[in-house]
Amino acid sequence: MSSPAERETIVVIDDDYAMRLSCRKILEKSGFNVETFEDGVQGLEGVARLKPGLVVVDLKMPGMSGLEVIGRVHAIDPDIILVVITGYATIDTAVEAMKTGAYDFLPKPFAPDELRLIVNRGFERRRLVLEGRQYEVERALLKRRFITFVSHQLQTPLVAVHQYLDVLKHLGDHPDVAEKREEWIHRCLQRIEAMQVMVKEWLELSAVESEGFARSRDRVDLKVVIADIFAAYQPHAEAAQVSLESDLPDGCSVAGDRHCVAVLFDNLIANAVKYNRPGGKVTVGAEIQSGEVRISVADTGIGIPEKYIPFLFDEFFRVRDEATRNTSGSGLGLAICRKVTAEMGGQITVESKVEEGSVFRVSLPAWRQKESNAA
Amino acid sequence: MKTILIVDDDADFAEALASYLQANGFKVIEARDGTEGLRMARIARPDLIVMDVVMRERTEGFFTVQEMRHTTGLEDVPIFVVSSLYSQHPEFNIAPDSSWLAHDAFFSKPLDMPAFLEQIRQRLGVAEVAG
Repeated sequence: MSSPAERETIVVIDDDYAMRLSCRKILEKSGFNVETFEDGVQGLEGVARLKPGLVVVDLKMPGMSGLEVIGRVHAIDPDIILVVITGYATIDTAVEAMKTGAYDFLPKPFAPDELRLIVNRGFERRRLVLEGRQYEVERALLKRRFITFVSHQLQTPLVAVHQYLDVLKHLGDHPDVAEKREEWIHRCLQRIEAMQVMVKEWLELSAVESEGFARSRDRVDLKVVIADIFAAYQPHAEAAQVSLESDLPDGCSVAGDRHCVAVLFDNLIANAVKYNRPGGKVTVGAEIQSGEVRISVADTGIGIPEKYIPFLFDEFFRVRDEATRNTSGSGLGLAICRKVTAEMGGQITVESKVEEGSVFRVSLPAWRQKESNAA
Repeated sequence: MKTILIVDDDADFAEALASYLQANGFKVIEARDGTEGLRMARIARPDLIVMDVVMRERTEGFFTVQEMRHTTGLEDVPIFVVSSLYSQHPEFNIAPDSSWLAHDAFFSKPLDMPAFLEQIRQRLGVAEVAG
């Protein structure tokens, strides 16, 4: 802020020559670019031209009053910080000035450091307001893109189902259509199921983003969690000719949110089955090391091309190539994994080789006895 | 028999539309992305192209249309753009004639199949086959 290239500009409006001079000297010494004006009309013209970050204005001037100047400066740019200079006699007016939007006031006479302090605070305030506004803009943009994207993700399966039903309605008796009827009904159900998964994951993601989620620190026995998930995926795995194996040491418990741990490994194991190949396997292993449980979920599947790895945990990212052509997914699973892992104080990484498979490594805080006492 | 190329990354949508058009006397070929669509259009020279917008890239369909317009032999082939996204976003509202883009008409998904068929027939000057 104080570097010459981006010096902040201050406009001083005061009818008193000595005051203008001293303000200029004090503030220029602090590295500001200072322009002074002797009345409101000239001052406002200067503000419009110079676009300062801050305006110092005397409340009591002949002609246009300081109060009027405040209103007009904010009409030019509401983010300009206004500092009011006032004599003791006009404290009430100074309070009124604050009400009309001045940032702070400085009673005369004042020491150079008092002016510097107020001005610096004023710029700090301005910086926060501007940053906040920028953040708001970015958030709104992101949110709009998110909604656009999600609505498209939801529309696509609805459109497919709609169109199948539409054709069956109009041409159900046509021999070519009639013979596809069973297959189409099956496809409709599949699309609806995939959509239900997507909505579930979407809700999970928004729950993860809400504050306080995954805050509880339960003792979560990984053997139980993995066994439950294996049981749930056994039929899928068998159909895909993929074997599920686990090798977990005894007492392998993490301190985390029970639901989050389940969601995390559910996603990883589901992917390991989905992106596998007939005759392949999924192996879950773990080791306890310096207060951490390090869990690996390995598959012998298609692997992930290196160029996609940096984006793998991004929301809605999906590897789209020949190898994943026939798999469906919301692109939210790994984003959820990353969020819940971070929320529980852990880390998630991936190593992968195309055609050989991927290993997802998760480290989570190990459960310690003292935590049970605290709980 | 007139040939229609459907460029859409959703196999189910393409299958439903293709079956409907085939049952109504058209020959249909399909492509799953813009690149494949362009290649097939060059080879097969379809009489009309149905183009999705959001495929691998958010505006892949629009770019593919532009490329087709710069490809010898495809400058004038009618292109009907279809999308579920744009019609419902006021900021993306696309007028049916869309003279600012190189395609011929815009339709929102889901399609009203009989109405869509009628538009194709009109554009290609094909009369409905009786029976």
